[in-house]
Amino acid sequence: MAISFKSLSYIYDKDMPYAHKALDNIDLELKEGVITAIIGETGSGKSTLVEHLNALLLPSEGSLEILDYKLIANQKIRFLKPLRKDVGLVFQFSEYQLFEESVLKDVAFGPLNFGYTAQEAQERARRALKLVGISENLYASSPLELSGGQKRRVAIAGIIACDPKIIVLDEPTAGLDPKGAKEMTDLFVSLNKKMNKTIIIVSHDNEMVYNVCDETVVLSRGKVVYAGDTLDLFNDPVKLKEFDLLEPQIVTFRNRLIEKGFKLSREARTLNLLSDEIVRQVRR
Amino acid sequence: MNNLVFGKYIPIDSFMHRLDPRAKLIGLFLMIAAVFIPKSWWAFLMIAVVELIALLLAKIGIRMIAQSFKPMIVMMIFLLVINVLTLHTGELLFMIGSVPVHHDAIFNTLFVVVRLLLMISITTLLTATTKPLDLTLGIEWILKPLEVFRFPTHEIAMMVSIALRFIPTIIEETMRIMNAQKSRGVDFENGSLSQKITSILSLIVPLFSVAFERAYELADAMEARGYVPGAERTRYHILKFHLADYLFILICIAVFAASILSRIFL
Ligand SMILES: Nc1ncnc2c1ncn2[C@@H]1O[C@H](COP(=O)(O)OP(=O)(O)OP(=O)(O)O)[C@@H](O)[C@H]1O
Ligand SMILES: [Mg+2]
Repeated sequence: MAISFKSLSYIYDKDMPYAHKALDNIDLELKEGVITAIIGETGSGKSTLVEHLNALLLPSEGSLEILDYKLIANQKIRFLKPLRKDVGLVFQFSEYQLFEESVLKDVAFGPLNFGYTAQEAQERARRALKLVGISENLYASSPLELSGGQKRRVAIAGIIACDPKIIVLDEPTAGLDPKGAKEMTDLFVSLNKKMNKTIIIVSHDNEMVYNVCDETVVLSRGKVVYAGDTLDLFNDPVKLKEFDLLEPQIVTFRNRLIEKGFKLSREARTLNLLSDEIVRQVRR
Repeated sequence: MNNLVFGKYIPIDSFMHRLDPRAKLIGLFLMIAAVFIPKSWWAFLMIAVVELIALLLAKIGIRMIAQSFKPMIVMMIFLLVINVLTLHTGELLFMIGSVPVHHDAIFNTLFVVVRLLLMISITTLLTATTKPLDLTLGIEWILKPLEVFRFPTHEIAMMVSIALRFIPTIIEETMRIMNAQKSRGVDFENGSLSQKITSILSLIVPLFSVAFERAYELADAMEARGYVPGAERTRYHILKFHLADYLFILICIAVFAASILSRIFL
């Protein structure tokens, strides 16, 4: 188990009359090497949870173990930089973090901070930009002049370039056009499958979660109400009702076809896989 | 940055929160004037007691007020040192090494410190119990008479309330950008001078671009809703004085009068 939360609570504005417990006694294990989704209604504590992963927030109570690092409530930590290199966090609205005079420089900024030489940082930046699909003629332009979607890609490249072992993304596809969102999702899958990165995605997009995320964590009012297999969750009408989640369209579709006599496996989790199975049976 | 207490509104409900902002503003002026008049400890004690009761009525912990004093400590120590070094009147109390410490140096400092602390807690009480927007409505009302001299009270009030409205937003954005840059390995606390400059730049540049974006959005939104500068406007919220407000002002006037009397008779 790579990441484990132990009775972790987080309180915003502790000691204030309006203190707010955003995370309440979280016990949670996240697996290494898989894609995990964190879902839950607005204000349920998703962002608060992921900001613990690279120690931007420290637990008010309890502890968090991640890779070889351990964050314990009320204890100082000395390994901030190595932890932040190993756990890359891409923020909600990450397009607002760009500041350098050129796209390339901005992406190289992270690697430079983490101690790569200027040359290495540039190479890493180029590779990362290529991965996120930013074309070379944009490398020299100011990141502030890009479109929202391009900015988002550059911001994601800025984290990928640091070569973290765990990549955490807070609503990375919100506000992107459908094609862009799909490309981003494909990128996360390939980072996971080809480069063996652990990916944690905060998302409101249940369809995407169902399509690509191995595991799902459901938060509600600061508590973990479900943590486990994504397919188990979304194929269980009782759970969906209990957690007030929408059934993914693909599940609805598959269930209707099964009613009509098709034999479709649960592993057909994307439209492509599902249509392959359907086509095979129609031909027969 | 979130620990900044001074000037922060505390969103709870209390007697003080429900008072009319105009009453609270008038009270603030009276009380601050009252702090600067007297020369006797009894008067300060009286003001402090009134202030304490008001704090209790506002349901604001003494702890929070104490926190708002924290930034002042350095200044106070500085003041004490200056006074000890320069004021040599009054009884000689004791020596620190070869530096003589006189009665007046200590007491003058204490006087200033007490006044400052009272002033800060009074102001904090106002800002903690009054929404920024209500505060500007109050200020606009107080400035109203100046309209005779073509003073643009409404425009000023609008500008102030927009500025106030955006302080929390800007703080929030600042925190978010800082977090994003920290995730990219920026260390805002340590580092060489050139590293410090880069880390500040990594914060300032995005902050400005966000601020401008927000400003344009707001201007568009205001125009879309038909805002015309200088046009006659009506209000949704009409401020109204209640019995409690009159009582509150009366108490403040009493404190003010008492502190004048203390100056004359004590
Ligand atoms: N800086 C802050 N100060 C005080 N309270 C906060 C702060 N940030 C978040 N909260 C509160 O903590 C709770 C959890 O917030 P969080 O941002 O983690 O939710 P979220 O699940 O990420 O929501 P969303 O889907 O809208 O991004 C919310 O009730 C929110 O109001
Ligand atoms: Mg969030």
